[in-house]
Amino acid sequence: MSNLIQNEMMKLLAKKRLLIIGVIVAVLIILFTYAQYKQAEEQREKLGTDDWRTAVQQQIIDIQNRLSSSRMLDEWREQLQVTVKQQQYYLDHNINPSEPGAATFTRMFIENASSLFIPLLVMIVASDLVSSESSQGTIKLLLTRPVLRWKILMSKYITLLLSISIIVAMTGVLAYALSGVVFGYHGWNAPIITGFTVEAGNVDTSGVRLISQWQLLLMDFGLVWYIAVVVGTLAFMLSVLIRSTPAGMGIMLAALISGAILNNMVSSWESAKYFFMVNLQLTNYLSGVAPPIEGMTLLSSVLILFVWWLAALIVSFIVFIRKDVY
Amino acid sequence: MSRWRVRIVTVFSALLGLLWIGCLSWAIVDYYHGEASGVEDLSAQPIEKRPDEFIVVALGDSLTRGTGDETGKGYVGTVTEELEKKFDHPITVQNLGIKGLVSAQLAEQVQEREVKRQLQRADAILVTIGGNDLFQKGETLLNLDSTKVSKLQKNYLVHLDAILSTIRQNNSSAQLFMLGLYNPFIELDENGELNAIVRQWNNETAEVLAKYEDMVFVPTFDLFQLSVNEYLYSDKFHPNSAGYRLMAERIAPLIEWEAKDDE
Amino acid sequence: MMSNVTLEVNSVRKTIRKREIIKDINFTVRKGEVFGFLGPNGAGKTTTIRMLVGLIKPTAGSIRICGYDVKKDYKKAMQHLGCIVENPELYPFLSGWNNLLHFARMLPNVGEERMMEVVKLVGLEQRIHDTVKTYSLGMRQRLGIAQAMLNRPKLLILDEPTNGLDPAGIREMRQFIRMLAEEEGMSVLVSSHLLSEIQLLCDRVAIITKGEIVKVGTVSDLLSVQERMSWRVEPIELGKEVLRSLTEVMETEDGYVLTSFDEEETPKWNKALVKHGVKILEMNRRLPTLEDLFLELTDGGGAGIE
Ligand SMILES: Nc1ncnc2c1ncn2[C@@H]1O[C@H](COP(=O)(O)OP(=O)(O)OP(=O)(O)O)[C@@H](O)[C@H]1O
Ligand SMILES: [Mg+2]
Repeated sequence: MSNLIQNEMMKLLAKKRLLIIGVIVAVLIILFTYAQYKQAEEQREKLGTDDWRTAVQQQIIDIQNRLSSSRMLDEWREQLQVTVKQQQYYLDHNINPSEPGAATFTRMFIENASSLFIPLLVMIVASDLVSSESSQGTIKLLLTRPVLRWKILMSKYITLLLSISIIVAMTGVLAYALSGVVFGYHGWNAPIITGFTVEAGNVDTSGVRLISQWQLLLMDFGLVWYIAVVVGTLAFMLSVLIRSTPAGMGIMLAALISGAILNNMVSSWESAKYFFMVNLQLTNYLSGVAPPIEGMTLLSSVLILFVWWLAALIVSFIVFIRKDVY
Repeated sequence: MSRWRVRIVTVFSALLGLLWIGCLSWAIVDYYHGEASGVEDLSAQPIEKRPDEFIVVALGDSLTRGTGDETGKGYVGTVTEELEKKFDHPITVQNLGIKGLVSAQLAEQVQEREVKRQLQRADAILVTIGGNDLFQKGETLLNLDSTKVSKLQKNYLVHLDAILSTIRQNNSSAQLFMLGLYNPFIELDENGELNAIVRQWNNETAEVLAKYEDMVFVPTFDLFQLSVNEYLYSDKFHPNSAGYRLMAERIAPLIEWEAKDDE
Repeated sequence: MMSNVTLEVNSVRKTIRKREIIKDINFTVRKGEVFGFLGPNGAGKTTTIRMLVGLIKPTAGSIRICGYDVKKDYKKAMQHLGCIVENPELYPFLSGWNNLLHFARMLPNVGEERMMEVVKLVGLEQRIHDTVKTYSLGMRQRLGIAQAMLNRPKLLILDEPTNGLDPAGIREMRQFIRMLAEEEGMSVLVSSHLLSEIQLLCDRVAIITKGEIVKVGTVSDLLSVQERMSWRVEPIELGKEVLRSLTEVMETEDGYVLTSFDEEETPKWNKALVKHGVKILEMNRRLPTLEDLFLELTDGGGAGIE
């Protein structure tokens, strides 16, 4: 098995897939860093001070003003009220919710990238692990060796897991390294509040506690990795089922984007919570953002994703072992 | 050589994978079993203020926010511009206005720690409040009832007093300017009943302000009295740009910078 | 006797989407022989070969490689097999050497020494560390063979190995395959739709059309039946008359006279022509076309080339 994994890694590295992904991530991070920098600068100019409390106070006031306009969807209103309450909580306890520094940038980036951007990157690898062999025809050489088919697929799947681990780490390292040039390499120990629970538009602060940013960052990475694994496995299944890499990618892309859209409008459609793409914002549970559908919890989301993952894996293996290769 | 690279990447990524699995389990366990320790208050340091800084804090309702002004400045923005011209120096403004605010809410807002902190360093404080207390989005106009109005007014005055005393507790020296109400419905008010109520409201407000030092009541009733439609926004309630400008031009000349004058 | 058979195909059938593509195929390949698999386009050669190497599963029947059932003893069967199905598709982004390394890692007991050996065998020493993208078709074909040889297979299956090669390449490939069979004692199964190729290369041949094997036999048996003699003579009318008196005669459009070929009789016919003063300008042994062969084998029935 170790031989097979090395084969797969050799092909992956020779195709320079990880390098391409690294470049994409780097470009995006530079863009975001610049945007963030501009925003901070503008805010400083507008408020006439660097003081974060003033900035947070102003954010609260802005949101309250938006809330006072009557034409607003109830879900939006609730979401904004939750944000106000959390910001107020930070303010009341004199804790900066976004301590400047590369560590904060990294956390924000990874949280925002978790449901669309990182899954997309993972798809670049996952979508053609199997289908590229089919379309190149090399699968005929691969499957005429004295190696059972499930082992070959397993080696590919393990390679996928390994590349996901690298991609997640790479995103984190690049975000820290690149944004640090602008924001400074600090913020690991900044205090962060977790444990907000949101129910029916109310923020329950009875469970809150203070942790260091590095702790939250690592937990975020764990969750993002899990999301990436689930999405990667689904893309992997499509790669087994569909010979053409672009077709598989297209389907996956459609699913992810529809998830992003659904998140904003499914609150009244309760069974939508069984879709995998509605459950991709796991990091929101840690930061206390209300889930898109009432009643979704971290555990329910993790379990739903687990079921999708398992199903995709089983389908992949059964199909791959049984299928005729033309 | 390339074979070694493959091997190193493989081992390294496997270690990363283990790390992420660990983080994932930690996240889930921590989410459900983390001890709720509460958050201790970190004490707030006062915001340091540069000696050459002039700070305006604006409190209140939609008038402070500038609703109806196409340029988005509101009277606060225009006052700032005027002051910058007058002092020949940049000015820092904190606009804490929230649309639809009533006096009870403002009384709560000034109790917020951060708002207090902002007030502490203010050189001038601008306030608009009471419009929503009295007009209640136009409801008051539809069924004018003198006992109800006097009850509204009584509540309002209590809150106003509380607001002003909180401000003074936190900042003993800043000049405070409070804008009076105008009557946006003056054209509909045939027998002058509402006019009388607004005038009375303003008088009582001025009386409360008079209890404190360095608090100035700035009337606006007269500004809108004769040609109300020219100065109202299309909602017939909020001022338009021109209306806000009138208000600002009345306040700006009143604001002094003592520290600067001392020089 | 068993150990002498490297491939045994027993009543294999394949139905794809309700269409029976392979209908009850039986044949065996023996040690050290080059076995030809001859049929027109779409006859089912590739489909059969895919079943032999385990890429697709037969609907019915069994396949044994060196006595191991491909279905039940997949790993052992594959250990004795080397193959190229259709084109030798390798990883274009890897070097030739890394391609070999890739497949060597999937085989038990194949190390760098063996890799070096096969590279020498196919004569790719010069270019083996270049990426496969930069290889010509002939070089890819050779690399394909090299990877098929890595595990010292007892049975080598090549699907149309001369596809796309130039005449020199074809000759080289032919010599190489004969060498493998004669010197290394391998069995080689070669498919082709070219009669001439099979005739020059193979010891035995199975002829397949529309998913059925119509004949299995030695090349000499099968192909000599239909061999003909073509004559160019002057004057043609007289020559035809002389030959007709001795055997059956046909005339082609381009002015040749065709008779059957028979080592005993042909010299006599020659003598008779000379005696009658007919000039013999040309006389050739003519291979039958595949078409002729099918017509013969299926009694002139419906089985022609599609
Ligand atoms: N995946 C498939 N689905 C349906 N029919 C197929 C499939 N693969 C092959 N066939 C059919 O099976 C028949 C045999 O095809 P095969 O590729 O085995 O022919 P071949 O003898 O290799 O021909 P060629 O000389 O052109 O390579 C053809 O009629 C083809 O249409
Ligand atoms: Mg074929």
